[in-house]
Amino acid sequence: MAAKQSLCALIASIAAAAFGVQSQDKLERDFAHRSAWPFIIGGLLGTLLFVLALWWLVDWVLASQR
Amino acid sequence: MRLSATAILVIGACVSQGAVAEWRLNLDPGATEISRSVYDLHMLIFYVCVAIGVVVFGVMLWSIVHHRKSRGAKAHNFHENTLVEIIWTIIPFAILIAMALPASQTLIQMYDKRDGDVTIQITGYQWKWRYQYLDQEIDFFSSLSTPQAQISNQQQKGDHYLLEVDKPMVIPANRKVRFLLTANDVIHSWWVPALAVKKDAIPGFINEAWAEVDQPGTYRGQCAELCGKDHGFMPIVVEVLPPAEFEQWVADTRSAKEAEAAADTEQDLAQLMARGEAVYSSQCAACHQPGGAGIPGAFPALAGSELILRDRAAHIDIVVNGRAGTAMQAFGQQLNPVDLAAVITYERNAWGNNTGDAVQPREIRALQP
Repeated sequence: MAAKQSLCALIASIAAAAFGVQSQDKLERDFAHRSAWPFIIGGLLGTLLFVLALWWLVDWVLASQR
Repeated sequence: MRLSATAILVIGACVSQGAVAEWRLNLDPGATEISRSVYDLHMLIFYVCVAIGVVVFGVMLWSIVHHRKSRGAKAHNFHENTLVEIIWTIIPFAILIAMALPASQTLIQMYDKRDGDVTIQITGYQWKWRYQYLDQEIDFFSSLSTPQAQISNQQQKGDHYLLEVDKPMVIPANRKVRFLLTANDVIHSWWVPALAVKKDAIPGFINEAWAEVDQPGTYRGQCAELCGKDHGFMPIVVEVLPPAEFEQWVADTRSAKEAEAAADTEQDLAQLMARGEAVYSSQCAACHQPGGAGIPGAFPALAGSELILRDRAAHIDIVVNGRAGTAMQAFGQQLNPVDLAAVITYERNAWGNNTGDAVQPREIRALQP
């Protein structure tokens, strides 16, 4: 239960970082973690997903125009 | 008081109407469907920016005035407000997406290069443009035709000062014309605002653009990428003709070229000199200067040149084949043999280079494959 909660919090924090807005409470909570690696790897994965989503979006727009 | 205010308003309205006609500050809607949609996009985004400016500065000014210190306003001290931050991130995001929708429509149209009716390869040279009609076998150079005397203020400047050429690019109206852009020496950029085409011409690359002009007319443009000394002296003129007249132009141009090639007769010195002077001023004078004095350190003098006076074959060779590693281009592919013979003859006899020597077109033709 605790693991699941922290995974949700991790994803929420990565999404907040991508969006650019985060509250002080959550920042302090995240910085209390021992390791930064989950955030770094999650951030890279999130970026990859974003790029793929953009790619798919452009393909879809171009295909719907032709 | 009220009367004078009305008078000022009336005068103001008259002046501003005259001024609007004279200095048009806004962009040109242009002559193609694409250029008009670019113009509409520009106006739409401009008005969006105006609205954002009014709202943001309005709220800011109102807050400054309404919550001023003299009214006893106290600053509310807080660190963060996640909700407000999310709102002010989402609003610009939504505005950007809303602007991207019409913009991507126009971009997709702009990049749709399929099904061209006419294809023209445009090559930038220092400092002129070359137009090759790939299907019509037409190939010519287009150089500035503004007289040197207007540039140096010895003559009244014309209406199309520095925006006029000897041979304009001719295209048909209501046909999709594809442009393949490249360059021979340095990066140039082919820019005709009315066609909404501004594309870099890069050596070793081919860039594509297209235009479909609906109104016949003359449209002017310039090189838009700093390309050296005469960057401002290589304008573009596009002549748009109704399709039937364009076909006629193609036929005329091709038969004129055949006639030119056939007219390979011997010419006397005076004929060659007269033609050579005209060729010199359009093709050579930009670097070697109208008086043949060159620009010391950059472009060698032709008046009194050792090479010209002592070595006739080397003189012909450098004009026809250029000199690698310098700004001297190979004019063999740019000018026809008659023009080459004339300009070489001119250089051998003008400005005190009195060799009395005439170079004939057949000598040039013998050098070319």
